[in-house]
Amino acid sequence: MAVVGTLGPRLDRERFQWSSLLMLAPGLVLLVVLFLGPVLYAFYIGFTNLALVGSRSRDYSFTGLENVARMLGDYVFIKSSWLTILFVVGSAIVGQSVLGMLLAILLRNAVVPIRIVVGSIVIVAWVLPEITVALIWYAFSQAGGTLSILLGHGGTNFLVLVPMLIVSVANLWRNVAFSMLVFSAGLRNLPSEVLEAAEVEGASAWRRYRSVILPLLRPTIVTNLLLVTILNLSEFTLIYAMTQGGPGIETTTLPIYVYQEAFVFHQLGYGTAISLVLVLIGAFFSLLFVRASRRQV
Amino acid sequence: MLSEVRFDGVHKIFGAETAVEDLNLTVNAGEFLVLVGPSGCGKTTTLRMLAGLERPSYGRILIGDKLVNNVSPRFRDVAMVFQSYALYPHMNVYDNLAFGMRARGASKDLVAQRVKETADVLGLGKLLKRRPSELSGGQRQRVALGRALIRQPQVFLMDEPLSNLDAGLRVQMRAELSRLHQRFRVTTVYVTHDQVEAMTMGDRIAVMNNGRLQQVDAPETLYDNPANVFVAGFIGSPRMNFVPGRLASSDGRTSVAFLGITTPLGTGSRLTAGASDGEVTVGIRPEDLMWRPAAGPDCTLTLSADVDVVEPMGHEAYVTALCAGETVTSRFPPRSGVRPQERVDLALNPARLHLFDAQSGITILQRPPAAGAETLRSVGEARTNDSAGGRSERHGQPEARRVPSRTEEIS
Amino acid sequence: MSAVQARPLAGDKLIVVPYRKVSAAAMATNLVLILLGCFFLLPMLWMVFASIDSNPDWAIRIPSPTLANFADVLGRADALSSFRSSLILAGTTTVLTTLLALLSAYPLSRMHIPFKRPFMLVILFASGLPVSMLVVPVYQMYVYLGWLDSLYTTALFLAASSLPFAIWLMKNFIDAVPVELEHAAAIDGASTFRILREVVLPLTVPGTAVTAIYTFINAWGAFIIPFVLTYSPDNQPGPVEIYNFMGSHGLFKFGDLAVFSLLFSVPVIVLYLFMSRYFSGAFNFGGAVK
Ligand SMILES: Nc1ncnc2c1ncn2[C@@H]1O[C@H](COP(=O)(O)OP(=O)(O)OP(=O)(O)O)[C@@H](O)[C@H]1O
Ligand SMILES: [Mg+2]
Repeated sequence: MAVVGTLGPRLDRERFQWSSLLMLAPGLVLLVVLFLGPVLYAFYIGFTNLALVGSRSRDYSFTGLENVARMLGDYVFIKSSWLTILFVVGSAIVGQSVLGMLLAILLRNAVVPIRIVVGSIVIVAWVLPEITVALIWYAFSQAGGTLSILLGHGGTNFLVLVPMLIVSVANLWRNVAFSMLVFSAGLRNLPSEVLEAAEVEGASAWRRYRSVILPLLRPTIVTNLLLVTILNLSEFTLIYAMTQGGPGIETTTLPIYVYQEAFVFHQLGYGTAISLVLVLIGAFFSLLFVRASRRQV
Repeated sequence: MLSEVRFDGVHKIFGAETAVEDLNLTVNAGEFLVLVGPSGCGKTTTLRMLAGLERPSYGRILIGDKLVNNVSPRFRDVAMVFQSYALYPHMNVYDNLAFGMRARGASKDLVAQRVKETADVLGLGKLLKRRPSELSGGQRQRVALGRALIRQPQVFLMDEPLSNLDAGLRVQMRAELSRLHQRFRVTTVYVTHDQVEAMTMGDRIAVMNNGRLQQVDAPETLYDNPANVFVAGFIGSPRMNFVPGRLASSDGRTSVAFLGITTPLGTGSRLTAGASDGEVTVGIRPEDLMWRPAAGPDCTLTLSADVDVVEPMGHEAYVTALCAGETVTSRFPPRSGVRPQERVDLALNPARLHLFDAQSGITILQRPPAAGAETLRSVGEARTNDSAGGRSERHGQPEARRVPSRTEEIS
Repeated sequence: MSAVQARPLAGDKLIVVPYRKVSAAAMATNLVLILLGCFFLLPMLWMVFASIDSNPDWAIRIPSPTLANFADVLGRADALSSFRSSLILAGTTTVLTTLLALLSAYPLSRMHIPFKRPFMLVILFASGLPVSMLVVPVYQMYVYLGWLDSLYTTALFLAASSLPFAIWLMKNFIDAVPVELEHAAAIDGASTFRILREVVLPLTVPGTAVTAIYTFINAWGAFIIPFVLTYSPDNQPGPVEIYNFMGSHGLFKFGDLAVFSLLFSVPVIVLYLFMSRYFSGAFNFGGAVK
């Protein structure tokens, strides 16, 4: 615009207020010292041979890609990576999301008392402390536990027979409320006219779901998948409290392997390097979902 | 106590959009200035800049003699009625009203007394214990109004403060606001969409369009001598008729041809310097275009028209008719008996014609002057001249201080 | 039922078919939900029944009622001290996190801060980082600083790790408070401090409560961080204590374990119910702006 040039500098440029820095400062300090600091430190430790005890606990050094090389030859690490992906895909991406969606849809159409009671039970399972969930599922799947009696195998300890499955189901049991709540909110926000129109046209329930609800819910689904993946990738407490990664290494997912390498085998450097892989996997999945959400626009 | 408010070359630019452009406006001390204009023309932005909620992109704003560009709202001593009310949702009506006084450290007794007075004036006495969410739209608006009125600031800013009231309450509040203004004479800038409010309450009316100030004048002047086609069309209901015409002069007399007739210009009117022969836009207010049988002797012109639509309004009727290929609206007496498809004679007083430049839309006819009119040049003209020269000229004009007639009654 | 009444003029076929169909689908829906409800209820039920059973084992059974388990647990010093530890840990974390989140979120929501968007993205990204990654470096730092085995320094790290998400949550809540209210208060002559105290804070109470409760629930259940950063028995919060008991078969009776985890779960369930009430409760911004 011609006028603008003749009027001198803009008078309404946003100004930085020092009071904002004053308010931000305490939080920033804490984050820098105890969050950003450790993150950067982790990237350093991951490339050293730091140990918890012994000479390497003081006298450690930068070892470049040595930890990476070690991982590639470490069959526990490779198995652990697969278990992690199995856990995330099976328990979280498929199990939790599908059951969460199913619950959200069913609850919408259920009679009020059932909706309230079942909805509350599912949410209580989510709110319970993880350690409690670990305990009750431990009890549930023990030899002589409720599960074995229900299945008529009184003496079978399912936590030994199919440990990964039990751990995944317990995790699913605990987290499904999260996806259920996300999807319920998504369903509630759908334009009701669209659903009614489909109903009036006489579309069957399944068709309606496939060709109307699902596409409309797509952004919600992508968000849910992203969050669920990131949350479950770092799941430690539930699995560790139930199995400590065992029997053998049958349930040693990466977070547990990180802990064991670092604090049981005293390999702080190697353990941290493994945790960086965990971050990489998380970043990979996030990018995947972000791309998926872009494509649809 | 009385403070003048001045906008001096003020612009406000949001991203790519210019909400207010080169605003030069003085609100006299103690004046009630009404700001009107179509939606989105920059009225609220103007008020917000004056309140200090928005900083101008360019230019200066003065309250009294003080440059307030960088003064925070807290220290400007203005009170504002927000278009969106902005009531504190967690406080009841009493606390909403009292907040400003308490913030300024008024004593408890004084607060209680003022809240009671204000609530009584606004008919909120029974609602003091309620929260905003428990009030109707009109009640909320009165609380918003009360929050401003409870204070005695240097300047009142009111953004459509009566828009949500029912007709009866609106008339009552209009009178109340006028009464309060006469009593305390606090400088007021009042935004409204309501023509009646604008015409009856304002000492002067400022008309904005597209971020540009079009004209500032006393209501009657604005009505009688609109500066351009926009103001002419915006003020007055039903809208002024605009028809194409031709200006021709011979033997020193100028005449205008339109709707198939030709007439010399009325006595007392004179053309502005810029006017020349050729295409013009002729403006005729519906009430000036009368039914022949109801017209007075000074309506010397007669037009023949075919009635298209008759809209009876009770005390009068609006007749839309086709005249020489143009659709025109005129005001008929209530029971004229005229029906659609009928041919009627319309009468017109040539002295009531408005003439505008066909291209720029600026008026080219200076009609008998109304006292103390301050007429700003309009958009089109400012664009054709260089802006600096245009501005200095405007500043050079002596500020005509129209003494409001009400002052005499008071003092 | 309503389908029948709503269309009295429609032909028989039209009325009957949708009625039967809907009803069958509804039956199936409710039935599936009841089954799913059992799946979610059964494992929990063990904890409740075992806690009042005089002789429980791993399976659910009708209890022979007793309060002895409760008396047992309430009489154990280690159980009580772990409650104390959990309270200190979760309480300190919650106070710190909420306060800092509130302080940081306000300028992030309202003021002009350079690089605000990238900063918020980093915050969001940070809240997704696995704690496993931070455990080793933080342990190293704490060894170096001599901060190990203190509930307060542990709470400090818990606060740091929960702060990014809390800031993000809090900012969204403050964003939802109409800024015009602050403008109105400024015009009313209120000082910045008064505006914060009398307008912004009261209106962010629900958001602050949600943030605080969310933080508390997480800190209450936090396991790996106190597990790594504390070691003396007195400083073991509930989750670590329960884990230790689970591993020590025989030393701890089933019934006591059930009581302990039940008691340990009650506070967060209550808080959650409180939070969801608060969230959907009558408080909203109705009437503030048109
Ligand atoms: N904060 C903002 N950011 C961007 N554009 C804005 C902002 N505020 C106002 N505008 C724009 O500036 C123009 C003027 O807005 P303003 O609110 O002043 O109009 P108004 O005359 O009060 O309209 P109404 O009669 O509808 O209230 C509009 O086009 C609006 O879209
Ligand atoms: Mg407006």
